[in-house]
Amino acid sequence: MRALIIAFVVATPLVAILSLRDGFFVFIIGIALIHMLWASGLNLLYGFTGLIPLTYAGIAGVSAYTTIHLVMAKGLSFWWALPIGSAVAAVLGLLLSLPAIRLRGFYFALSGMVIQSAITIAFVYFPAYTNGDTGIASVPRPTGFDGRGIASPYMELVLAAFVAATVAGVWLTMRTRFGHTLIAIREDEDLARAMGINVTLNRTAAFIISSFIAGIGGGLYAHYIGFASPRAYDVLISLNIWLMVAMGGRGTLIGPLLGALLLAPLPYLLVQYTWIKDVIYGVAILLVTMFLPQGIYGYVLKRGAKS
Amino acid sequence: MSEHLLEAVDVSKAFGGLKALSQINVTQGRGELLGMIGPNGSGKSTFVNVISGALKPDSGDIRLMGGSIYRKPQHVVARAGIARTFQAVKIFGKLSVLDNVLAGALGHEMSRADATELAKASLARVGLNVDLDKNAGSLGLYDRRRLEFAARLISRPKLLMLDEPVGGLNPEEIRAMIALIQSLREECGIFIIEHTMKVITSLADRVVVLVNGRKLVDDTPQAVLRHREVIDVYLGTGDA
Repeated sequence: MRALIIAFVVATPLVAILSLRDGFFVFIIGIALIHMLWASGLNLLYGFTGLIPLTYAGIAGVSAYTTIHLVMAKGLSFWWALPIGSAVAAVLGLLLSLPAIRLRGFYFALSGMVIQSAITIAFVYFPAYTNGDTGIASVPRPTGFDGRGIASPYMELVLAAFVAATVAGVWLTMRTRFGHTLIAIREDEDLARAMGINVTLNRTAAFIISSFIAGIGGGLYAHYIGFASPRAYDVLISLNIWLMVAMGGRGTLIGPLLGALLLAPLPYLLVQYTWIKDVIYGVAILLVTMFLPQGIYGYVLKRGAKS
Repeated sequence: MSEHLLEAVDVSKAFGGLKALSQINVTQGRGELLGMIGPNGSGKSTFVNVISGALKPDSGDIRLMGGSIYRKPQHVVARAGIARTFQAVKIFGKLSVLDNVLAGALGHEMSRADATELAKASLARVGLNVDLDKNAGSLGLYDRRRLEFAARLISRPKLLMLDEPVGGLNPEEIRAMIALIQSLREECGIFIIEHTMKVITSLADRVVVLVNGRKLVDDTPQAVLRHREVIDVYLGTGDA
């Protein structure tokens, strides 16, 4: 079962990219890949330290607008703009969250929701950079070696490479002393403190890394779909990414990828019935919290460990 | 360097209007095993929380081997050499036995290889012979307590503060626990809060009695048990 899920998560995007002729479905896979990247980054914080960052989409948005500004107004190459935008997002996300980072579980999530709302409003009120509610259209694709926008399906392969690099990065991080420290903090914060672990410092570090990954996803997303608006980076998106991690299986490598692959395409597959998407997401939140608190992959791992 | 291991000078801590600790003076000499007793709510656990940095005292001074740890963050206090156990045993229930002990080394300068060696030595030190990969949550209470001890010993603390280390154990386990604590005296200073008098009388060199956040007496176990007010507090004055 476990192998089946891993195969599904790895093979579906690759097979789809390489075999599908239909541009729309390849595009949906591209969207799913960016959400896989986001989910992996959020998992580093939620899955390995227990914090739910509901500012996540806002941080991705800051990176998106920064990257767009650097590319469209300053003429910088996307590949220079992306890391700069992500770094700006990580630093800003950290500054905004500094007052909240000492809070626990529910209170951290709640404060994140407030900060996220403030970020969304800021996007609307700084039209010089964001064009307000109208959004920015005709955002150019990331450029290839020939200086032109990378076409599908090659762009999707680039996105897949980003996901692979992120997952590998998270995997390596969790094998370091830093990773073990994060797990200790997640399991029991008070005990971790009593053992000499600097909880705030380690959390802050995890928050910065996670925000940077959010920023990478944000820049890629805007330049991939060619459009950016405040709605694309509001609190609902933060919740959706959180749900992908929770439903797939937090604290595992594969779980967030599975959750993103299952949930991210929904809004695109249900274009005519977008309201159904929110119903499905809502029901999924209920079902997961009630019956599968460990997520789908977490449940599979647990059953595998028993048998 | 100070001749004392721990010095708490005029330490006070209030929760709102409730004075949990009022100007407590406690010193613990090197190699001395200090006990603390007192009725429920007398401030014993608060004292451990304040010394270990989990709670910040309102006033006073706290020194470990002469160096002030007053109002320092808890992780700094832990790194300075104060380790504590909890009244309700605290272990990482979802992690393995080995990972639980290794976690005790995470906040301290130590390589993973050294830590693994030390972790095994610590487990052997407390006599816990279980599968290293076993889930810590599946251990019984006595084993959990010993695992908690092992996870503290790996950081080589200067002072180990034990909050009711025999609570919930059966008489046989209590005897073994007393022997274990006795054997740990060679490695670090030990401070014990206990309700079980047998533990205090057989282990402590000196006993501090707290009542309503104030220090009532500070003497040898034998003298403390003969003390008129201590008897009144524990057995009642007869007119209550």
